[in-house]
Amino acid sequence: MMRWILLLLVCATAPASAAEDCFTSDTAGSGVTFRVMQAGAPYTGNFRRFSGVVCFSQGRLTRIDASLDPASVDTGLPELDAALKESDFFDVRKFPRVTFVSTAVQSQGAAHTTRGTLEIKGNRREVEIVLHTRPAGGKTAISGSFTLDRLQYNIGTGDWSNTKWLGAEVKLDISAILTRGK
Amino acid sequence: MSRFLNSEESYGIIAQVLHWGVAALIFVQLPLGLYAANLPVSLARLRWLSYHKSLGLTILVLVLLRLVWRWIDAPPPLPGTLARRERCAARAMHRALYLVPVLATLAGWLYASAAGLSVNWFGVLLIPDLIAKNTELAPLFKVLHHVLVGLLALLLIGHIGAAARHALVLRDNVMQRILPAGWLEKK
Ligand code: HEM
Ligand code: HEM
Repeated sequence: MMRWILLLLVCATAPASAAEDCFTSDTAGSGVTFRVMQAGAPYTGNFRRFSGVVCFSQGRLTRIDASLDPASVDTGLPELDAALKESDFFDVRKFPRVTFVSTAVQSQGAAHTTRGTLEIKGNRREVEIVLHTRPAGGKTAISGSFTLDRLQYNIGTGDWSNTKWLGAEVKLDISAILTRGK
Repeated sequence: MSRFLNSEESYGIIAQVLHWGVAALIFVQLPLGLYAANLPVSLARLRWLSYHKSLGLTILVLVLLRLVWRWIDAPPPLPGTLARRERCAARAMHRALYLVPVLATLAGWLYASAAGLSVNWFGVLLIPDLIAKNTELAPLFKVLHHVLVGLLALLLIGHIGAAARHALVLRDNVMQRILPAGWLEKK
């Protein structure tokens, strides 16, 4: 009973959550790019399939639930794409999803400091990503980048864990156009 | 006359060192490329191809340096004992032996650039790309690299065969003039 009263109180004092506005990402204009050092030179590739739900309330980002299909990795080199799907890297048959679920967001204008749980290849870690929103032709664009240590997620095991030839740091650039969701 | 410079009868030490330096590197580069390119995607492939690209760019610079040096210090004229036709063939072959390595290395560099696999020269110097990553052009440059390298290998067979002919059949001074003095005494 006490719980119910509390809940009612919370709802009454925070009507914002009731007016939460959720969006999904549009395939057009959205992308995830990764950068990593190979043999001392920067290398760039993309992931082609990802999706997510992003919710706002009164201009503040309230939550994100995103997932990426590591099998959609696209480097332009078919042999490399194939290798990246194997067990040394993403092991896509066993781990078909990379996920990010927000736990807390602090919005300041168009900058949204988002903490959440990133899960890659069964390894979960708390990360913080600063996301930026801006209007884009009547829609909202959201983007952000962050750097992770691939070894913490077992991406590139065995010989590939040699960071002289394949850098440990992977920079991800994420951008999406948001469409009003269900 | 300084032995470092070319004379009427012989190449000077500088031209000789450059000739054999480039020759040695090319003889390493060919098997290195074959070995690396046929490895499966692996750290070893990444590593050996990285050495291949660094060594290839070194060869490019040295061949260009040879061309500059040849312009500064003219090579000895071919012996008059050779027929006009033979001298023409030798000159054309030598031109090709400068041109084809340059084109082959440029094709390799273009391929590496188009594939997005930029070169860091022996881990010391990041080399700029010739063109932006372009996955449509990359396979074309790869084929071009293979074709030009194949052409270079054919030219070298002809070049070494011709050198052997001079040393063993014609027994003129053409072979010893690119070798250090006294290596092949004329009988
Ligand atoms: C066993 C290997 C080789 C042998 C025996 C050899 C022999 C010779 C000889 C005897 C000459 C002098 C020709 C003359 O007197 O006019 C020469 C010149 C030349 N060689 Fe080689 N060579 C070898 C490998 C190479 C390689 C790998 C290259 C690579 C591109 C090369 C490029 C040249 C060029 C461009 C010249 C002309 C130099 C000039 O007059 O500017 N050679 N070589
Ligand atoms: C005179 C210089 C060079 C020679 C003789 C040479 C020779 C070769 C050979 C024999 C291969 C193997 C072809 C195959 O069987 O697949 C190869 C592959 C390759 N070369 Fe070179 N190369 C030279 C310069 C370069 C340079 C300067 C670069 C780049 C900066 C380069 C980049 C590559 C790459 C990336 C491959 C692998 C392509 C593949 O997957 O087949 N090469 N090269």
